[in-house]
Amino acid sequence: MNWEELAFLALAVVALVTGVGALLVRELVHTILWIAVFFVDLSAIYFLLAAPFLGVLQLGVYAGAVTVLLLFGIMVTRKRIFSREAATGIGAVPLALAAVTFIFFVSMVGEFPQGNLPVSGIDPTLLSEGLFGAFGPWLLLLGLVMLGAVAGAIYLVREGRE
Amino acid sequence: MTSLPLVGFLALSGALLAVGVFGILTRRNFILLLIAIEIAMNATILNFVYFGAFSPSPAVTLMGQSIAVVLIGFAATEVAVGLAIVLALNRVRRSINVAEANELRL
Repeated sequence: MNWEELAFLALAVVALVTGVGALLVRELVHTILWIAVFFVDLSAIYFLLAAPFLGVLQLGVYAGAVTVLLLFGIMVTRKRIFSREAATGIGAVPLALAAVTFIFFVSMVGEFPQGNLPVSGIDPTLLSEGLFGAFGPWLLLLGLVMLGAVAGAIYLVREGRE
Repeated sequence: MTSLPLVGFLALSGALLAVGVFGILTRRNFILLLIAIEIAMNATILNFVYFGAFSPSPAVTLMGQSIAVVLIGFAATEVAVGLAIVLALNRVRRSINVAEANELRL
């Protein structure tokens, strides 16, 4: 087993543990800490997959912006920031559905090539050329959706709305 | 050159999607619900990056990473709108429990 496989195994275990931990801990602030580790872990996976631009983007957008936004959401919606959530039961049906999702995916894994495959990266210059070339319309669409989202968010949180 | 098992990565994103589905079905707090959606969304984005990275063709790698960039943007937008809904819900209902938001108007 080479060091990349070891790194992948460690990162995968951390991703699963922090993902489950974020949903199961009772204090919301702890949830944010777990999910921040989760996002940083995913960015390390992107670096492992030779996609450094995506890794940096994940760090900036998720570990930075989304985490702070969620923390801000908790700050303004509760009086005491460390108050605990009421316990919600785990439930047999959601657990079964999650298990079915996982088994469905794992059952399809056999159709893909087994064993190790070489990882090929791409130069960030080429990626940006592609983003502003062939994928330009998608980027424009993203910009339009973001503009609409900003307008909608301002409308939603506006004071004095009936 | 780095070589890694594609199958392991696919199993990881399947497991993360399962965790997200579980969270969406069980959590009643709106912020936890958003976090669960983010976990499921990240599992999806990871898939695009895997198939790009494990493909020998640079065009496919470019396509996978470009789609991932656009999807990360969409996911961030979704969190921003979700939090605006959280703030509006909290102002009107004094609670962000989704089980109590049982009318279409805020």
